[in-house]
Amino acid sequence: MDIDNGVEEEEEEEFGFSRNYFLAKELGGSGKKSACKLSDIDLVDEQELRAAASNIEPKHEKEVVALMNSYRILYPKWVFELRCGFGLLMYGFGSKKALIEDFASTALTEYCVFVINGYLQSINIKQVAISLAEVLWDQLKTKLATTSGNLPKVQQPFSSRSMDDLLAFLNGSQAQDKDCFICVVIHNIDGPGLRDSETQQYLAQIAACSCIRVVASIDHVNAPLLWDKKMVHTQFNWCWYHVPTFAPYRVEGMFFPLILAHGNTTQSAKTAAIVLQSLTPNAQSVFRVLAEYQLAHPDEEGMPINNLYTICRERFLVSSQVTLNSHLTEFKDHELVKTKRHSDGQDCLHIPLMTEALEKLLMEIRQ
Amino acid sequence: MALASAATDSPIQTTSETNDNNLQTFFVLHKASSRKSEKRSTGTGKTRRRIDLSPSSPKKTDKSEAERAEEWDERRYEHLRMEAFELVWSRIDLTIKDVLRGINTNVLNEIHSWVCESFNAIKSFGTLGFAEATRSFPIVAAATCKRLFTGLILTKNMEFVDDLLTFEELGLSLRSHGCHVANLSSMDFSAKNGIGGCLRGFLRQFLTTTLDAADISILASWYREQDNHDSPVVVIIDDMERCCGSVLSDFILMLSEWVLKIPIIILMGVSTTLDAPRNILPSNVLQRLCPSKFILGSPAERMDAVVEAVLVKQCSGFSVGHRAAVFLRNYFLNQDGTLTSFIRALKIACAQHFSMEPLSFILGDLLVEEKQKGEKICLLPEVILKHASQLPSYVRNQMADQTAKSLVHGFSELKRLQKCWSIVVLCLYEAGKCNKIRLLDLLCEALDPDLYISRASNNHVELDKDSGLGMASDRCKRRKYSTFQKGGIISQIVRKVRDLPAVMLYQLLKSWENITVDILEIHEKLKELQSVLRFEDGKLKQNVDDISKRHSSWSPLNIEKDSKAINEKAATLLDCLVRDYLRPMECIPLHEIVCFKNVEKLQLALIGDPRRRIQVDLLEFYKILQCSCCSKSGNVLLPSMHDTSVMYTLAQEHGDLINLHDWFQSFKTVVLQPSTKGKHKSKQSPLSKKRKHKYESENKSEASIQARFCRAVTELQITGLLRMPSRRRPDCVQRVAFGL
Repeated sequence: MDIDNGVEEEEEEEFGFSRNYFLAKELGGSGKKSACKLSDIDLVDEQELRAAASNIEPKHEKEVVALMNSYRILYPKWVFELRCGFGLLMYGFGSKKALIEDFASTALTEYCVFVINGYLQSINIKQVAISLAEVLWDQLKTKLATTSGNLPKVQQPFSSRSMDDLLAFLNGSQAQDKDCFICVVIHNIDGPGLRDSETQQYLAQIAACSCIRVVASIDHVNAPLLWDKKMVHTQFNWCWYHVPTFAPYRVEGMFFPLILAHGNTTQSAKTAAIVLQSLTPNAQSVFRVLAEYQLAHPDEEGMPINNLYTICRERFLVSSQVTLNSHLTEFKDHELVKTKRHSDGQDCLHIPLMTEALEKLLMEIRQ
Repeated sequence: MALASAATDSPIQTTSETNDNNLQTFFVLHKASSRKSEKRSTGTGKTRRRIDLSPSSPKKTDKSEAERAEEWDERRYEHLRMEAFELVWSRIDLTIKDVLRGINTNVLNEIHSWVCESFNAIKSFGTLGFAEATRSFPIVAAATCKRLFTGLILTKNMEFVDDLLTFEELGLSLRSHGCHVANLSSMDFSAKNGIGGCLRGFLRQFLTTTLDAADISILASWYREQDNHDSPVVVIIDDMERCCGSVLSDFILMLSEWVLKIPIIILMGVSTTLDAPRNILPSNVLQRLCPSKFILGSPAERMDAVVEAVLVKQCSGFSVGHRAAVFLRNYFLNQDGTLTSFIRALKIACAQHFSMEPLSFILGDLLVEEKQKGEKICLLPEVILKHASQLPSYVRNQMADQTAKSLVHGFSELKRLQKCWSIVVLCLYEAGKCNKIRLLDLLCEALDPDLYISRASNNHVELDKDSGLGMASDRCKRRKYSTFQKGGIISQIVRKVRDLPAVMLYQLLKSWENITVDILEIHEKLKELQSVLRFEDGKLKQNVDDISKRHSSWSPLNIEKDSKAINEKAATLLDCLVRDYLRPMECIPLHEIVCFKNVEKLQLALIGDPRRRIQVDLLEFYKILQCSCCSKSGNVLLPSMHDTSVMYTLAQEHGDLINLHDWFQSFKTVVLQPSTKGKHKSKQSPLSKKRKHKYESENKSEASIQARFCRAVTELQITGLLRMPSRRRPDCVQRVAFGL
């Protein structure tokens, strides 16, 4: 009956899939392979490309807005399901950041909303848990203050507690009120910074806490592979919603290299943040001095080394030329910094990044 | 949805300017508004806040009093529905837990007595003197004393999700018997955290303070300080096969050294076979184990028990329609196969029901006031009564008077019919048990309204007007009926009753007697049958007893004939019950209030299919955006189409590798092709002017086309449909998905 049909359909699908795959393979190997090189395209200058990329004229703007607005009738239903204890998982093509934040700021005003930007490269899940615990603690405090209950003592600041303790706190029974929860919005729960299994395990554990509800979005077609059955059924407890928006992935795509831009430099914008975050705070500060100089003097060819050394000494970032040089070697190895001979003969340092990228980078490492 | 329409005044900002928050890894969007308490008391807080916030909007200030009142009502009823959901689900949840606990009771008791025995065995190795006990290192003892008593619990289930609850229960039950229990999972035995992490997690469960250095001697001193010396320490590992072998071995070796000081007993869940420990542990570790085996109930058993308690006996009054039941069954069989997922699907169905059906809150009232005979319903405002009387099932029945009284009657009738239905299903299930009929399959058939109609029409019973599908063609009915006759589960069961051996038939009638005890009319019929049987032959009882005890004096032929007649009668009774009482939910007036039917919504919420849906979004975007410019194009790519869609459609023509150069060129061709409608819909200037404009921006447009190409590639990369060029093939990207 129905079952057989289902099985047949599935088989059909599978067959279709493998057929498609082999057809594609064949197409690729049939000698038709084009030998054209990327460099055959008359590529425009990278700066121009970036400028153009930031001014792309949006298509179907009216329809996209109408589409997003059409989801608003679902808001009450979403709130209802969150209150029932489900997590919401939004998928479909297009950036869902604006949609979810609109939902959060119009329909979830009664609850504290905490946002995690999963599309960023470096997210420290422990930090997230600490902040969540602090937010919950605040909420409980104000609540108990109004109902004149007595506060349980915090024995230890949250920042020095272990992950298990934090989770236990978030899952605690301090809040008797079922409707007292923090809503955690995770943009791109499948994002590059959250994609590893350990982080996903922690996210699942956080999602399972009694004081937490999750609203998340995914964009990657294979995102569900991140979760096993325990996570899906007992921890995240997803309700799926297909909400394509066709809005451009503006912020989400910020750290992706432009494919037509000449590889190395753009790549390094992304990697720079990663490299910098692995360095010591002092090294980061040295880099910041250099970056700020470059931003302040966009017309100059670079920062003279002596200049850098003086400033770093003044700020107690380095104690000697030797330490500064070791930092600089590290930067150069990762192509964060390049040396140029200035017209007056002295060596100058400069960072091979566009002003805009540099600003973003500074923001990234400031946290 | 007055609320939602009010919200549409300000469009969502799709083009949010780059603000600081976008680059923070996390931030607080807003705190909980403090008006919450106010809302609690009045129920209007939210609506009012909305109005306060935007006094400039003329629409909102124009709102008439009536509209406001309506909104207020809406909020209030939403709140009621929420409460009703909580009530109903908590009852279902409780029932499920009880049922599962019931299934495991025997095993849990068995395990507990084994734990006690093992503990006594450990104690018999000798007690420690004070000096020995307080030393912070293990005791040197003979190898036989270093063995760990290990219970291997066979879960009979590859999916360990279903057993999480069982192991939790096991922990609770042992704790209630005074044991010290630690529940560990394979997460604690990961290679990454090593034995240290594992030990820390283990100690955490007993000691309240967190330790920097994990050391088992701390546990030893903790155990010594306990008042409760006379109980073992039980370690439960729920999915042993997923543990990292080396960490688990170290853990076992360490515990076995300390077993005299801390009487530790291990319980491990095993989902494959008893060989499992041999596969992941080395022999020197295996020597330290002293295993015993326990077996849990099979998933199918549990499934049947849960379905029986929740959907057939309807512990909460909530029920599902035929199509929803079929979907749930197929989801269980085809998709996931775990009880956990089934329960989750049920919960989603329940939540959806209460969020979408405006009158569902009545179910909560029905539950609370089972004894008060619907007094509260009489108190419902006029509007609601009107609403209820407009439900299709109610209208069909043409209960013309819309008074509260007739509604109350309707509800009690609904309950009665539901009860009869569930009793017949249970009778059928009981009869089908020996035939290995799965309750879920039976349920699907028992809920089918078409079958009910065809049964009714075939027997020339007057067709009720409310049966819902009266307009279905006769042919369709006949076809359905014939399937019922031939292959249907119900008819199969009835036929089996005819062939049942006498002993089993006797037991069956006994169990029916128990099942039907609540509904007098059915119970009477059964009694009638039993008395007739007794009347016809004082032999039946004798028969049964005789067969089971000694050879009867009756000739076998005679017995056979008699019992055949009895079987026939029982089968007729069952048939009769099915015809008269097996009235599916969907054929009862007012069922909309308690019955969930919206399968499509359930399916969408339960099974996300990003792989397929995202590709369809891209390939058929005009269906979603509903723009006037692209929908009529057929298969031709137009420059007005969404860039990423154009790119993905073009990518379909390539093999598994896409040459970037070719791809770019074809994209460029599509984008630049002259279109009759005008390339950019925003420009409404005359054609000549546009052309001029085009020439001027020739250079600029090259850059913008390249930028658009880049962005589309990035977007495809974000969706995971593309892989970036590798070093080996710098000019090609790789396609990832083939076919939907």
